[in-house]
Amino acid sequence: MEKRAMIEIQRLGKSFRIAGGKRHVALEGIDLNIREGEFVSILGPSGCGKSTLLYMLGGFVPPSSGSIQVQGRPVTGPGPDRGPVFQEFALFPWKTVLGNVMYGLRQQGVGKREARERAMALLHKVNLASYADFYPKELSGGMRQRVAIARTLAYDPATLLMDEPFGALDAHTRTVLQNELLQIWERDRKTVMFVTHGVDEAVFLSDRVVVMTRSPGRIRTVVDIDLPRPRVRAELLVDRRYQEYVVELERLIEDVHHERDAEPAPAPVAKTTLKVATR
Amino acid sequence: MRRILETLVPAAPLILLFVVWESAARLGWAPPNLLPAPSLVLQRLLELLPDGEFLHHLGQTLIRLLGGFAIALVVGVSLGLLASRTGGGALITVVRVLAPIPKIALYPAFVLIFGYDHASKIALVVADTLFPILLATFHGARAVEPKLLWSAWAAGSGRFASLFTVTLPATLPAILTGCRVALLIACVTVFLAEMISSTDGLGHLLSLAARSFRMVDMFVPLLLISLIGLLLNVALQFARKHLLRGQS
Repeated sequence: MEKRAMIEIQRLGKSFRIAGGKRHVALEGIDLNIREGEFVSILGPSGCGKSTLLYMLGGFVPPSSGSIQVQGRPVTGPGPDRGPVFQEFALFPWKTVLGNVMYGLRQQGVGKREARERAMALLHKVNLASYADFYPKELSGGMRQRVAIARTLAYDPATLLMDEPFGALDAHTRTVLQNELLQIWERDRKTVMFVTHGVDEAVFLSDRVVVMTRSPGRIRTVVDIDLPRPRVRAELLVDRRYQEYVVELERLIEDVHHERDAEPAPAPVAKTTLKVATR
Repeated sequence: MRRILETLVPAAPLILLFVVWESAARLGWAPPNLLPAPSLVLQRLLELLPDGEFLHHLGQTLIRLLGGFAIALVVGVSLGLLASRTGGGALITVVRVLAPIPKIALYPAFVLIFGYDHASKIALVVADTLFPILLATFHGARAVEPKLLWSAWAAGSGRFASLFTVTLPATLPAILTGCRVALLIACVTVFLAEMISSTDGLGHLLSLAARSFRMVDMFVPLLLISLIGLLLNVALQFARKHLLRGQS
């Protein structure tokens, strides 16, 4: 029996007012179904609305049109079934590493002792147990992102919403964290929506890659990545099919860039102008 | 050596001010019966400090200053946080109208309502310090990174709970800056109120001394309130360092 879609996105659109009173269409006519346990990457140039799509899935930003259903229920706001991981980590700077990871559990009414034990177990898994009492500012970027991932995994969301999570890291750290994420995913098989502009990252991690166009953001095409798992980077790099996927996606992205250049340049839209969702 | 230098450098302008003032008095640039030498004022202050009655006046002033500040802190932070959330804009309109009113003009009314004792002076300190704290909290809370709140909401924190678990700690740096301004205003306000109508407190001591032309005694409360302001600022810096150990 086929699993029902974890996430169903229908005719989804987002537009907002920009300076001068005009409306900018960020996203238009997005149709996408994501199966339970599937790893889907959203690939596109900056400004194509891929982060906005993720924010709407998280319930942080309300859609202008269309609908999103998660496990058959329409999204009306944020919820612990969808855990975000942001490029900027968004850790609570006033809390220690342990305090950050305990946060979700405490908010959901888990007792202090149990929350501490579960958070410590998770920190052991991401090799940060000895940094439990550190503040985020005392950690490197890679460690901070590991803490952010642990903070989200702590409340065990069915879906992970990752917004260019490794975009702010150096190449080596990025590779390490990609491997760690794959290990976690291969163990837990959570549904993952992974926003990125890195082609090889998308191919390495995903079951499917959604390629977006810009202005307005639409789905250009969806590419199935039929590579065996567990994936090992060193093996993939010499794998013919892996290379073909990378080349195919690079070409698609190149096309998107050319199409964009043919049109008059659209006004850049700052991410921070988005209206924050309220509950 | 380096530590000594680090403490001396910020103190240098103070020492210079002291030297200029002292020489102005000693060399007769200013009439000594109008401007007493700071060394004389300091000496008088040290004489008075063990005195029970003087300490009573000092205590009264501190109660009013700190009491008023504490009330303004609790009310200002609460209102500022609430105003920062959706629908809070109306509150800020009210604040914008009330904030420019010179609060000292309300003092006669406060005396009529609350009487001559602590309450009227505390009320004036609250009225004067509330707005800097409220506005600092409001603007600080508005500037909180939305992704911090998103992370909290996704983790299962309610809208009201996140006000305390995220917005408040994230706003703390701004609140403490507001407190710094408010504490200075509180020193000025409590002193003024005591000068206008009071039977005790440092401001009252200054009025008494001025009326009988005791110039050294007149400068003692002034010196003391400036020292209090300095000490409160040091205490606040200490609190800031502790409270913001994870931030900045």
